[in-house]
Amino acid sequence: MSYEVMVGNKAAATAVKLAKVQVASAFPITPQTTITQYLSEMYAAGEWDFDFVNVEGELTSQVVVQAASKVGARTFTCTSGPGLLYMHHPMQVTGSSRLPVVMAVVHRGYKGMQPDHSDLMSQQWTGWGHQYVEHAQEILDSLLMAYKVAEDARVRIPIAVGYDGYVLSYTAEPVEIPDQGGVDKWLPPYKPMPSVLPDEVDPTTFSRGWGGGDPQMPWKIHHEAVLKIEDVLKETMDSFEKTFGRRYGNGMIEPYKMEDAECAIIAMGTIAGTCKAAVDKMQKEGKKVGLIKLRSYIPFPVKDFQEWAKKLDGFAVVDRSICPGKGGPVFGKLRGSLYDLEEKPVTLQFHAGLGGKEVRVHDFEMIGDKILKAAKGGTVEQVTWI
Amino acid sequence: MSERITRAQIPISELTITPGSACQGCGAALAARLSFKALGPNVIRHGIPCCPDSVTQTPRVGTVFEGGGAQLTGTARALKAIGREDVLAVGFYGDGGTYDIGFQGLSAAAERNENIIVITKDNEAYMNTGNQRSGATPKYARTSTNPIGPRSRGKPRPKKNIPFIFAAHYVPYVGTASVGFPEDLIAKVTYMKTIKGFRMLIVQSPCPVGWRFDPAKTIEIARSSVQSGIWPLYEILDGKTFKLNYKPKELKPVTEYLSPQARFRHMTEDEIADIQETATANWENLLKADEMGRLTL
Repeated sequence: MSYEVMVGNKAAATAVKLAKVQVASAFPITPQTTITQYLSEMYAAGEWDFDFVNVEGELTSQVVVQAASKVGARTFTCTSGPGLLYMHHPMQVTGSSRLPVVMAVVHRGYKGMQPDHSDLMSQQWTGWGHQYVEHAQEILDSLLMAYKVAEDARVRIPIAVGYDGYVLSYTAEPVEIPDQGGVDKWLPPYKPMPSVLPDEVDPTTFSRGWGGGDPQMPWKIHHEAVLKIEDVLKETMDSFEKTFGRRYGNGMIEPYKMEDAECAIIAMGTIAGTCKAAVDKMQKEGKKVGLIKLRSYIPFPVKDFQEWAKKLDGFAVVDRSICPGKGGPVFGKLRGSLYDLEEKPVTLQFHAGLGGKEVRVHDFEMIGDKILKAAKGGTVEQVTWI
Repeated sequence: MSERITRAQIPISELTITPGSACQGCGAALAARLSFKALGPNVIRHGIPCCPDSVTQTPRVGTVFEGGGAQLTGTARALKAIGREDVLAVGFYGDGGTYDIGFQGLSAAAERNENIIVITKDNEAYMNTGNQRSGATPKYARTSTNPIGPRSRGKPRPKKNIPFIFAAHYVPYVGTASVGFPEDLIAKVTYMKTIKGFRMLIVQSPCPVGWRFDPAKTIEIARSSVQSGIWPLYEILDGKTFKLNYKPKELKPVTEYLSPQARFRHMTEDEIADIQETATANWENLLKADEMGRLTL
């Protein structure tokens, strides 16, 4: 174990090294760019036995890792905003083929270059696991865990780990780097399922598509495999803590100072860190509001929120992305999760941080005040733009 | 350079499972049958959307239409990573996947000199969706998106010179082949297996349905294309060493190639003369390059 002060993109590249990725491929785009440079430097220095393919566009990088994963290499790719949108087409093939590719998404909005979560949110239908993280240490740890979860035989689903551009990608903080030996022991080598090598292949995979039968079946299998991420991520978080001494809630959510809370703010990514500071301040003032940081958007922690809903009077959902005409994705999914409960807490929607707009501690204090008021029966508008 | 073989040297083994789901007289199915005879079984076949010409007794992987160059790259890099460079990464693509939607990714793979083989069964239009024009469609050809009418004489622009475009990436090997010349095709695939890096073979593959001719005439059409200088057979190594593989003393007139195909039936004398002139001029250039043994790209 060692420490280094590093930017978020270096933390991502360090995770790639620790996971001993065999084939990585990426196309530079702000604010992901320096990952490609770190990987190129690591390749040039021969830091470990891997191949880095500098390609001519994001679509190609996604297909390169898809094919390499199919053939039997552990893979990594990364991108931002428009680059992720350009990858959309092959991403659904990676998902449908159930290839455990791991990708870092360094958030960049697409109305301007500053970060929001609209890039990764726009890929909801591609059949990947989607996670959102808060700081550089969590980037490194989450990418390592993503390999363990994605490659688990119960899952075999690609995972995207998103973190806010600039705020994390280019900002340095101390990061604890696990020992290579410990990671090697914890993360076993990757084996493809099934093999496509001529001497190992199962002849039933020769034909095109899924074969005959129920055309809906591939969707059902795919959906159930993505849902399996929940249990495997929770297990993986336990084993990660046991091995490396850190954890982030149960993997799906990370509650912060929720012990005596009556209401929770739900936030993702870097602004969850800002929210922690606001919670500290509010609790000192006797306001009973805490934070539930949402880490896994897909699969969504339905059961966890249902459990918390039994104890709480209100949820304030801060969405850092919006589907125009439809609203915030987390807000909608959370309300759907609570529908079956007999007693439903109050829920409020906050649109914040879009286009990289600053979200400050006092904004979260306002959010906290509003949800506490609404939970006590006060009149508060349901949707607020911060 | 490929070494001339006789018909008796064509491998007897069949790696395509017949009958495939191809139409009668399908040139692309024949291109697959011949190519895979020479490639052998130690191959991962890569597909992208195209005509379902054949099923081969090799593993087959596929991806998005535009991802042909990228998936071969990923496979080749992963084979190296896992120490299985004995396995060939082969793309068997159509002209859309090579000339058009797949061009960017293949161009980039060529520029990186990926250790891959690309075989294009060029049937000169999007035949899988019903004969819409492609970048490989020749001038004046009628397609379902180039109907003949007062404002249209078929496709207004010539076919892209894709072998030269890829040769201008200075890759180890680019060749043209025809299903009408099986010995030449097999010899070229056999040679490609002996070298490393980016290798590409463009196989002209007549399509009776799209080109509109009697399915029994596939070989005749393919041969007359080569014999009239419309589709010359050649090889380009490293973007400079050049060899014409088939040099008749005299070219046949292009009408021998054009006339049996209904896609060219509307052509006027002047339009035929335009094609004849282009074919003759191109042939003279290729003869000069062949004499020098090199190209200047």
